[in-house]
Amino acid sequence: MTQTTWRQRLYHILLWLVALAFFSPVLWIFLSAFKTAGEIVSPQPVFIFRPSMENIVRVVTGPNFLEYLKMSFVLSIGSVLIALVVSFLAAYSFSRYRPTGTNFIMFLLLSTRMVPASAVVIPIFLLYNVLGWSKTVHGMILFYAMFSIPFSLWILKGFLDGVSMRYDETALINGGSRLHTIFRVVLPQVKPGLVAAFIFNILFVWNEFLFNYILGGQGSTMMPVLLATGVKQGGMTDWSFIAATSLIYMLPPIVAIFFFQKYLLVGMTFGTVRGEV
Amino acid sequence: MAQTPLPVDNQMSTAQQVARKRMPWARALDENRFFPTLLLVPILIFFIVWNVVPLLWLLGVSFYRYKLTAARPPSYVGFENFIDIWKSTEVWGLLGRTLSFMVLTVGGATLLGMALGFLFWGSGRLPGRRLALTLLFTPMVLPPVAVGTFFRLIYDPIFGIANFFTLKLFGQRYDFLGNKDLAFGATIAVDVWMWTPFMILMTLAALGSVPKAELEAAEIDQIPWLKRIWYIILPNGKFILMLGILLRTIDAFKTTDLPYLMTNGGPGNTTEFVGLSLYRTGFEAFQMGDASALAIITLLIAIAFASIYLYVLSYRETRAQLK
Repeated sequence: MTQTTWRQRLYHILLWLVALAFFSPVLWIFLSAFKTAGEIVSPQPVFIFRPSMENIVRVVTGPNFLEYLKMSFVLSIGSVLIALVVSFLAAYSFSRYRPTGTNFIMFLLLSTRMVPASAVVIPIFLLYNVLGWSKTVHGMILFYAMFSIPFSLWILKGFLDGVSMRYDETALINGGSRLHTIFRVVLPQVKPGLVAAFIFNILFVWNEFLFNYILGGQGSTMMPVLLATGVKQGGMTDWSFIAATSLIYMLPPIVAIFFFQKYLLVGMTFGTVRGEV
Repeated sequence: MAQTPLPVDNQMSTAQQVARKRMPWARALDENRFFPTLLLVPILIFFIVWNVVPLLWLLGVSFYRYKLTAARPPSYVGFENFIDIWKSTEVWGLLGRTLSFMVLTVGGATLLGMALGFLFWGSGRLPGRRLALTLLFTPMVLPPVAVGTFFRLIYDPIFGIANFFTLKLFGQRYDFLGNKDLAFGATIAVDVWMWTPFMILMTLAALGSVPKAELEAAEIDQIPWLKRIWYIILPNGKFILMLGILLRTIDAFKTTDLPYLMTNGGPGNTTEFVGLSLYRTGFEAFQMGDASALAIITLLIAIAFASIYLYVLSYRETRAQLK
């Protein structure tokens, strides 16, 4: 270990201060979740207070909360699992056999993710009304699977392109079936890609609001709708409800980037930039 | 884990084992020459049901006058919806407002992100680096709905913490989200806060892609920092930075949830951007025809962005191959 000089120490303190500055609005809300309603709306900000779990308990035991939280998990995990299977098969085909139109389909799929959600949702809304899929769980899951496919495809194809064809050739020559080759030989090589796609797609579905607000209904509604409708109903805004709900709703993404920090770069760039920070 | 080829004497037995266990349908799959296409069937189903059909539907509806709540059936009006948009000063204002939002928020996040990215370049031995980076990168993974909601608490004219500071600094309270001169800036400030970490991340990635040897050579030669940035860092890192800026631009164009929850487009329509306007036309006014026509236009803009993005990406790959 080299001696840490005072300059370096100062530099490290500066970095921590910057990090804390970016986190401070979130921290303020987290603190507010443990305040009483009176302390939140006090014109003189309250920095020191006796923390109370009252808001959290009230929100958790409140109507719909547990159901919406469960739906958030069911919809995000279910749809991403479907998306991963579908896009892994496609990515394998695109990467190994390069059928004509590969680049075009990859481009079209990516551009669907670059359109504002409210433009995408209009025809889906009309389609779902005809099919009778709006307000259903399977309608939501399949929609979010489609929502997650472009990103999974891009990231997995990027990783598969990095796996040498030798693996496939060796497996096939040694008598492995094609399915054996795909799932037992090639699949383990792209595990980091699968993890990154899994985590970040769940994150995107978890954060998504508009589709669920418009297409979802009783029994297929997720957390953000609770937050949004909780704000809009009634004359008075229930700030302690908002603070406590935000706390619970925002914790999973923060925990996720703590544990999966090395996938952050891949995850936030559709897998087009690889590396770690 | 790397799967190494088995030793020669084991090969036959493994092959025989596998062959014995193989099911008839698996053998049929192995001999099928349409196998590559077969793998694509699931994604094509998804693509057709959730992309092609809705797109055609959208295109169709855009030629109709179609109000969801009206009793009369949709009537064909040809290009009238598009002509209305072309003539409407509101839509041009909307596009202009979205554009200035994009330029300001992307520009702000990029400048701030690059500066802080340089600052964090040497953070390799920061104590508790993982936690510090988690805190730093938190804003960009937060749900925009939650951000839009809790910033109303922070910006509140009476008990918001933002006003506590303005009162101390300027001796005045501001109604950030209710004042039509301030709301636009306040929205941009939140968006810049959310996305500066992303640009820090991209700057760090760009800096990481600069060859170490070149930097060490510059260090030995005592080349001034501005020259190092110009001649070494920018040429090597500019592609990743470009990708970052493009991704941000695309995302800024999509912004819907944040203003919807924070200001609901107001006051007036000072913070109403394309995404929110589409939502309001389609699902508050139920004018499906008008909304579809506007959606087609945003679709074309988005495809243009996507093409630029992929062009830069493929350019980078070609360059990488040439090296």
